[in-house]
Amino acid sequence: MIQPTESAVGSDIAGRPVIAELCHITKSFPVRGSHELKVLDEIDLAVHEGELLALLGQSGSGKSTILRCLTGLAQPTTGRVLCYGQPLVGINPHASIVFQTFALYPWLTVEQNVAVGLMSKRMSRAEKDAAVEKAIDIIGLSNYHAAYPREISGGMRQRVGIARALVSEPKILCLDEAFSALDVLTAENLRNEMISLWHNKDTGLKSIFMVTHNIEEAVEMATRICILFPRPGRLGLVLENNLPYPRDAKSPEFQQLVATIHETITTLALPDHPPEPAHVSGRPVSRARSRMEAIPCVPVGQILGLLSIVRDSPDLTNIYEISNEIGKEFGETIALVKAAEILELVDTPKNDVCLTTLGRRFLAADREGRKKIFTEQVYKLRLFHIVIEYLKTQDEVDADKILKDIATALPYDNPEKILQTMVAWGRYAGIMDFNANNNTVFVPHDEETENAG
Amino acid sequence: MFPGQFPSEMKSKTAALTATKGKGVFSWVDLLVLLGLFGLCWSVLHFGRGMIVHFDEGAAPPLDVGVWNIPYYAGRTLLRMWIAFACSLLFTFAVGYAAAKSRAARSVILPALDVLQSVPVLGFLSVTVTGFMALFPGSLMGVECASIFAIFTGQVWNMTFGFYHSLVTIPTDMQEAASTYGLNRWQRFTTVEVPASMHSLIWNSMMSFGGGWFFVAQSEAISVMNKNIKLPGLGSYMASAVERGDNHAAMWAIIAMLVVILGSDQLVWRPLLAWADKFKIELTESSDPPTSWLYDLLRGAYVFTWFEEKLAQPFRDWFRNLTLRFTAGSKPAKQGRPTVGAIVFRGVGILLGLWVGYYAISGVLAGIATVHQHVSPGTLRDIAWLGLLTMLRVFAMTIFATLIWTPIGVWIGFQPRVARIAQPLAQIAASFPVNMTFPFVVGFYVAHHIGMNWGSILLIAMGTQWYILFNVIAGAMAIPNDLMEAARTYGLRGWPLWRTLILPAIFPFWVTGACTAAGGAWNASIVAELATWGDTTLKADGLGAFIADVTQRGDTPLIICSIAVMSIFVVVMNKLLWRRLYALAEQRFRLD
Repeated sequence: MIQPTESAVGSDIAGRPVIAELCHITKSFPVRGSHELKVLDEIDLAVHEGELLALLGQSGSGKSTILRCLTGLAQPTTGRVLCYGQPLVGINPHASIVFQTFALYPWLTVEQNVAVGLMSKRMSRAEKDAAVEKAIDIIGLSNYHAAYPREISGGMRQRVGIARALVSEPKILCLDEAFSALDVLTAENLRNEMISLWHNKDTGLKSIFMVTHNIEEAVEMATRICILFPRPGRLGLVLENNLPYPRDAKSPEFQQLVATIHETITTLALPDHPPEPAHVSGRPVSRARSRMEAIPCVPVGQILGLLSIVRDSPDLTNIYEISNEIGKEFGETIALVKAAEILELVDTPKNDVCLTTLGRRFLAADREGRKKIFTEQVYKLRLFHIVIEYLKTQDEVDADKILKDIATALPYDNPEKILQTMVAWGRYAGIMDFNANNNTVFVPHDEETENAG
Repeated sequence: MFPGQFPSEMKSKTAALTATKGKGVFSWVDLLVLLGLFGLCWSVLHFGRGMIVHFDEGAAPPLDVGVWNIPYYAGRTLLRMWIAFACSLLFTFAVGYAAAKSRAARSVILPALDVLQSVPVLGFLSVTVTGFMALFPGSLMGVECASIFAIFTGQVWNMTFGFYHSLVTIPTDMQEAASTYGLNRWQRFTTVEVPASMHSLIWNSMMSFGGGWFFVAQSEAISVMNKNIKLPGLGSYMASAVERGDNHAAMWAIIAMLVVILGSDQLVWRPLLAWADKFKIELTESSDPPTSWLYDLLRGAYVFTWFEEKLAQPFRDWFRNLTLRFTAGSKPAKQGRPTVGAIVFRGVGILLGLWVGYYAISGVLAGIATVHQHVSPGTLRDIAWLGLLTMLRVFAMTIFATLIWTPIGVWIGFQPRVARIAQPLAQIAASFPVNMTFPFVVGFYVAHHIGMNWGSILLIAMGTQWYILFNVIAGAMAIPNDLMEAARTYGLRGWPLWRTLILPAIFPFWVTGACTAAGGAWNASIVAELATWGDTTLKADGLGAFIADVTQRGDTPLIICSIAVMSIFVVVMNKLLWRRLYALAEQRFRLD
C-alpha cells in the first residue's frame, strides 16, 4: 500500500496523461547585495490526469514557488514548464488557484467575484451568468449572491475563492495552503467537499494540486504525496497513497503513512550521525566546530520551553507527540529540537528527544548559570564566529557586512533571518546586541558580560 | 447644490448603487436625481458660457459688487474648481499609473513630483497668465486657464503620489488572482487597481480639493505685469469689495464661500466617503463607518440601477466584443518578446517623455541664461537672506501652532463626541481660503500699529494651523484604549503621562500635519507677507513679499530666481527635516 519510491509507484499513474509538468526547474531570487538565494533545485514534478497530488513542505521550503511556476505566475530561472506537452507561455490556461488568503476583492459581491474568473473568456453575458450560477450552486453559496466578502465568514469566503477558481472549468485546481487560514472544523468540512468535487466529474476538473505544510491534511486528501526538503527546495520522497475515501484518520494504515512521513522528515532534519568532517588542526579559531552550520530561526524562550516540557513529561519523547502536545506544526517543532540539539542540550536518537547531561545541568542552574552555559554553547557554533571575530577588533560592526558574510557562508539561507536569530541568541547570552538606529551589531558593556565572556 | 455631481465621479465598473436591487420602481428620489442631473448640466453650460467671452484687458468692465450677483460668482468659482479637479484626476490616473507600471517612468516621475510639490505655485501665476493669454488671444479663456492651472498645480501632486502609493501597495494575492484569471490591462485597472486605490484616492482628493480654495481665491484677482485682471468669481468679488472698502459685501462673500465649501463637503465628499467605505482592503467591518444623508437618500434611487442594467452593462458588453474582435487573431506573445501593443505603448511613452524632457530642459536653460544676464550675485544673496527670514517665520508658525493646538487637539481627541464634530470642522477651516480675510486682519494691524514682520506669522498660521489640529485629533483618537488603561493603572497623569504615552503616540500624526502645514506656509507667505487694506500696503521682509512684489512688476529674471530659491529652501527642508522626522516616526513611534 505504501510504496516509498517513485519507481515503484509508476504502475498506477503511468498510463494517465500528464496535464502539466515541471522539468528540471531551478529558481533563484536576488537577495540583499548581489547575492542570489536559490530556493528550488532541480525539481521534476508532473501532475497527471485524475490525481490529487499534495506537495508537502515546511514554510519557506519553496512549495508556493513551485505552484507559481506550474500556473505561470512565476518563471523558473532554468528548466522548462510543460502543459499538455507544450512549453507553457504566460499564464497556464488549464490551471486556477485557490489562495490561502482568499484573495477576494472586497468591493465586489460574491457573484461579481466569481465572475472575475470568466473575465478573459469570450462568452456572451447569458453564458457567463449561467456558468457563474452553476459554480455558485456547486460550492453551496446559493443564498449569498449579493453579499460582500466582508459580510461572510472565513469558510464562506474560501468557498467564494473556490467557486471563482472553478468557474472557468480548469483541468487542474491548485490549492495554495487553502485551508490553513480557517478554523479546524471549517477546514475539515471544506476538505471533504474538495474531495467530492474532485470525484464529481461533471465540473470538467481532472486533478487537484495542493500545497500544504499539514501532514494529516496531505494524507487525508492526496493520492500522491511529494515531500519537499528545504534549503534549497528539492523533492525528497514521493509516496503513493491508495487508501480508500473517505479516509479515517484513526485507522492504522492512515497512522502508518503519517508515521512514515514524520520519520523521513526527522531523519533528514536531525540525522543521528551528523557528517562532521575531520577536525582541521592548528586553527586558533578555536573551540568552535569546524563545520559551518545554519541555526534554526527560533526564539530562545521557546527552546527553554521545550527543555522544560521534555524534563517534566518523561513519557513524552517522540518528536511527533511533542509536536502535538505543544500545538505547533511539525516543521516548527523539528526546528526547535534542532536548535536545542546544536546547542547540545538535547540528543535525538531516532525520533526521540532526550536531555543531555548538559541539558539537565542547564535546567537545574539559576539564571546566571544558564546564561553561562548558553554562552559557552553559542561560542562553539561556527556561525557566531563571523561576528565574534569582528567584535574582537572593533566595538561595533555594520550589520550589512555580517549579512554579506553569512550569505557567502550559507548560500541557501536567508541571511537576514539568520542574523535576527543570532542577535536574539546573542542578547540572551549577553555577547552581542543590535542597534537599530545605526544598523550595527555591538558588544554590550556591563559587568555581567565581562564575567561571562 | 448639485446632487448630480455624485455619480459623475464614479469611474469603476462596480460604481452602480445596486444595493436595493430588485425594487425596480421609480420614486420621488429618482425625480430628484434627474432634476439634479438636469440642473447640473444647465449650470455647467450657463457658467461655462461665461468662460469663453471676449476679453480685452484694457476695457474689462469692473466687477458688479451687488449682493445678488454672488450666486453667479460662486458658480463660476465652483466650475473652475471642478474643471481643475477633473484635470488633476486625469493626470493622477495617467502619471500615477505610468509610475507604478514602468520602472523607467518611475525613475523620472517620482523625483520630478517631489520637486514640483515644493514649488510655490502662486509665484508662477504671472508666467502662466501671460502664456495662456497668448494661447487664447482676445478671449477670457486664457485667464480662466491660468486660474485653473494654478488650482491644478496646487492639488495634483499630492493626488498622484497617493494613487501611485496605493497602486504599489495592492496586496500580492489580489494581483496574482487577476493574473491567473487572465485579466487584461483595462479589466485589471477597473476591477482591481482603481477600486483598491479608491479609498485613499477619495481621501486625497478631498484634502487636495480643500487646499484648492486657497488658490482659486488668490488666482481670480491677479495683478501681473502691472495689470489688474479680475475673473468673475468669489475671490475677485471679495477683492473688489475690499478695494472699495465695502464691508457688507465682503461679509456676504465670506458667507457665500463657507456655504460653497460646506455644500461641496455635504453633497459630494461625504457621500463619496460613505460610498468608498466598501473599497477598504481589509475584510473587517469598519467599526464607525462614515455616514452621509445624501448617500442614504441616493441609495434608494432606482435610476442608477436602471442606468447600470439598461445602458452601462450592454455598452460594456458591446465594447468588449469589439475589442475581442480586434485581438481575436493575436496569440499570446512568446516569452520575453513584448506584444505590438506594448511596443506602441512604450514608444508613445518614450516620445512623450522626450517631448516633456526637451521642454523642461530648454526651459531651465533659458531660465538660467536670463538669470545669469540680469541678476547680480549680490541680489542673489539678498534673496537667500529673505528666504532665511521666511523660513524662520515658517518655523515660528509651526512651533506656535503646535504649542497651542496640541493640548486642544488631544483634549478633543479624547472626547469622541466632541471629536466627531470638531474634526470635520477643522477640515473645513483648513479648506477656507483665509487669504480672503487677510484685509480685515491687516486693517487691525494698521489700526494698532503692529509690524508686518511679526504680524505675517499670524497671517500664515491662519490657513495652515488646522492641518496640525486635525492630525493631532486623529492621533489622539488612535491611541489604543489598553495603553490608556495601563497608564491609568500605574497612576500616570500630568506631564509623565504626556511624555510616556501621549506625545510619542501622536508624534507620527503630528509629523504629517506639521509637514503639510509647513509646505502650505511657504505658499501662504507669498500672499501673507504683502497685504493691502484699502490704500495701505503692509510689507514684511521676506521671500514671499519679494515674490509678490516682482510678480506684480513682471520682472521675469527675478521671478525665476526667487521661485527657484524658495523651491530650494522647501526641498532642503523636506530632505533635512521632514524626511528624517517621518523616518523616526515610522521606526520608533509606530503603534502596531
